[in-house]
Amino acid sequence: MPIIRSDPVAQKGKKDAARHREKQKDAIRRQLPEIIARESIITSKKGKIVKVPIRIMDIPHFRPAQGSAGAGVGQGKGKAGGVIGRRPGTGKPGEAGDRPGEEYLETEIEMEELIEMMIEDLGLPRLEERKGEGMVAETRFKIRGIQKTGPWVLLDKRRSAREGLRRFWEFLHYLVKETGRDELACFDALEQTDGILADALELLKSGAYAPIHTVFEPFPIFYPDDLRFLEQKKDIEYHSQAVVFALMDTSGSMTDKKKYLARSALFWLAAFLRTIYERVEIRFIIHDARAEVVEEEEFFKKVLGGGTRAWTAYELAGGLMDSEYPVSEWNIYLWHFSDGEDFEPARAALEAKKLIERGISMFGYGEIEPSSSHSDSALLAAFKEILDVQVHWKEGFMVVAGRDMPFLAVAIQKKEHVHLALREFLDKERWGHATK
Amino acid sequence: MQRSDVKRLETVERRSREIAEEFGLSTTDVMFEIVSSQQMLEGMAYRFPTNFSHWTFGRDYERQRTIYEHTGGGLPYEVVWNFEVPRAFLMESNPFALNALVIAHVWGHVDFFLESRYLQRGRAFSDIAGEARSAAERFRGYEERYGKENMEKFIDAAMSIEWHQHPDPFFEEPDEEEMRERLIQRERAMLERTRDIHSQFKKPETKAEIREIEKRLKRLSRKTPPGPVYDLLWYITRKSPLPLEPWQQDVLSVVRSQARALSPNRKTKMLNEGWATYWHVRIMRRLFEEGILDAKEHGIFSDFHAKVTRPLRRDFNWYAIGPALYEYVRERWDRGQFGLEFEECGDSAKRAYWDTKVGKGREKIFELRSFYTDRMAIEHFFDADFIRRNDLYLYTETVDPQNGDIVDVIAEKDPETIRRMLKHAFVHYGTPVIRVEDGNHNQRSELYLVHEFDGFELDPAYRDRTLENIHELWGRAVHLETVIQGKRTLCTYNGRSVSTDTGSSADGLMEL
Repeated sequence: MPIIRSDPVAQKGKKDAARHREKQKDAIRRQLPEIIARESIITSKKGKIVKVPIRIMDIPHFRPAQGSAGAGVGQGKGKAGGVIGRRPGTGKPGEAGDRPGEEYLETEIEMEELIEMMIEDLGLPRLEERKGEGMVAETRFKIRGIQKTGPWVLLDKRRSAREGLRRFWEFLHYLVKETGRDELACFDALEQTDGILADALELLKSGAYAPIHTVFEPFPIFYPDDLRFLEQKKDIEYHSQAVVFALMDTSGSMTDKKKYLARSALFWLAAFLRTIYERVEIRFIIHDARAEVVEEEEFFKKVLGGGTRAWTAYELAGGLMDSEYPVSEWNIYLWHFSDGEDFEPARAALEAKKLIERGISMFGYGEIEPSSSHSDSALLAAFKEILDVQVHWKEGFMVVAGRDMPFLAVAIQKKEHVHLALREFLDKERWGHATK
Repeated sequence: MQRSDVKRLETVERRSREIAEEFGLSTTDVMFEIVSSQQMLEGMAYRFPTNFSHWTFGRDYERQRTIYEHTGGGLPYEVVWNFEVPRAFLMESNPFALNALVIAHVWGHVDFFLESRYLQRGRAFSDIAGEARSAAERFRGYEERYGKENMEKFIDAAMSIEWHQHPDPFFEEPDEEEMRERLIQRERAMLERTRDIHSQFKKPETKAEIREIEKRLKRLSRKTPPGPVYDLLWYITRKSPLPLEPWQQDVLSVVRSQARALSPNRKTKMLNEGWATYWHVRIMRRLFEEGILDAKEHGIFSDFHAKVTRPLRRDFNWYAIGPALYEYVRERWDRGQFGLEFEECGDSAKRAYWDTKVGKGREKIFELRSFYTDRMAIEHFFDADFIRRNDLYLYTETVDPQNGDIVDVIAEKDPETIRRMLKHAFVHYGTPVIRVEDGNHNQRSELYLVHEFDGFELDPAYRDRTLENIHELWGRAVHLETVIQGKRTLCTYNGRSVSTDTGSSADGLMEL
């Protein structure tokens, strides 16, 4: 039989593969808190690819339990007990695989996509990329003047041309005076000698001169001295910058889920500030009874020992302001997440007051899933007592805001509250004026 | 592919067919098509050259495509369909030697299609490709009219139980009334006999028996189904109280008939691939001897052949174990290593050198391909020698407590245990036997299914989700009688949640 070439048919595979991918994403969405908890979403680079283990999507069917008898049959040399291979598990060290035998597939997803899902999951508003016209002048460099040297890109053509023409006329008048010939002949000679005055003079004086041009057309003649360059200067005055101090209570009671809420709120705040400020730095501080500065990864992973003293973290933030982030140059935002238990709440509130008085732009306190929703936690009670605040309720959500001071405390009982908390934070009155 | 290459492939096709016939293989005209890699990958994923849209096909396509894109230099894929005129794909971008290999391989499959009594049956569905093509068209229309989501849900549900067919591949479900009539007649005959015998001296037991039969008869006149039905989709299509709309019935019957057409392939996968691999080696050897393929192409062929037949550490490689089985059987029957005398010989040295030079190997492997399923082959030929010779083992997954990695460890090398596991895995080809017991349970048209327990309990998560899917098709409560932790249990999905009732007494459960 002849072998035939077949006509390409409709590309069904791609479309159905996309649908499968969509279903996978739903599965990812369902385990978003765990996935996000593992990644450095706040400080990660754009375009980072995250590997996410998800169960293979399958049509459910009656099948024998994937039992203890063995996962399957294989072939090759080896004794009982011999290791034949290893592969990445579900990413939860220490946990005896909850369902060995379940097939996991490692799928890749872009960090941006994960963040998009998180924003969707929490119903947070989307942020636009920072636009050119910011709240303050954002060009880093300003043109401050004109100079005679510089890179070619900054060549000021108009000014340079003017200088060139000026030189042409000077040369022309000189030649007319020296040789007594008319302007056309002098121009012609200059043209023939590429604008070199000495050569033109010699040409006119020698007998070899023969006119070429019949129309008088002035042209610029450049000597190095004639070029004009724009002068740029670093623009220091208009530079805008902010630092976020992210503080987290890492005593044992902060679960993955609580951290997911804290982390998503922090991520979003940082992203928001980036739309306003040209430069945003984030410093992570964790505390139990002592505080330390850490990288983002540790910030969410580390579990410290017992005891909770928030003031140590506030004090450490104050120290960072002294050494690296003077209030005169930085807009300072501090956001502290905790579930509210504290050994020395009064001292914490006093320390907070100190920071506020030093002129920071915002002191935020997010209380995540406090054990009781009826009575205030130790920390919140102390804030209410020591700071000048007022309490109001919005949609079943408590907001404690400073009177004439940039203080804001919210209690996040469930994930829907993250959005409300951020909205409070965004309230124009609280941050609108604070730019340096 | 160059025009001259196509010409050369045609030569290979012609000559390899003749060689296959010289080897005693049956052949028929085969439609070889040169396709793009994408068509090849789609052909593999979609079960048929053209089929309806579904995410599981998309998933398989994507998986194959990823493998393909990460493997340079072509892949030894073959797709061949057991149609009236079998159809096979050759991949445009594959090296010539690889396409020649695929053609040689296909001749093995074609013989298997024509001669295996199970695959012969598959050929009865030869129009299945045309049906799949027109179903694709109709399904697109349904998607537009009834919504993509509804379609997807319904196809998902149908696929959930597509492999639940009658265990006997040659069985055709009779019409329900026909079956009822047959069962009633059988009961009546029994009744007559019981009445006749010693009618004047009836013992109380006999009387009780008569009453039992009369009760059964009464029940039979109304019961649906009158006898057990194993073909779940068949029953649901006809009896769902929803009631099913015509498009839904269409979806169910398309999914069902595709699964039925493919079921013989599922049951003979090892023997079929093994057969094709066993023969492609021999056909290719001849092609090289005859100079139809050159020395350089021999290198390419050897590479791919080695790749395909490589033992897998974590999987059952059909292309390795299948041909090994034929080699093994051939050798044993050539040397007369069968029969009572051999079986009873306990001297391993004597067994190893056993050779009566009877030369029955060839005959035996042709018998193997004609009359066996994979399960039967495992039962008969996977003995300790074979399992040891091929280094088969069972492995388990363990989790490294340090970093959460999954570590696979050889768990078992004992041939008898391995054989038992394999036998079980192949008994129903991974599909537990489930029958429809009652389609009008509780007089409320609820569906009552019974899992015919064979010592292996069902995967609970999958079980519950499958019940939900059946409910999608049935619309009323769905019950499944099964065994959970050693106890007879009734699982019920009522449209909201699955509940399990482990009968303190088995009273609530149907009699088996």
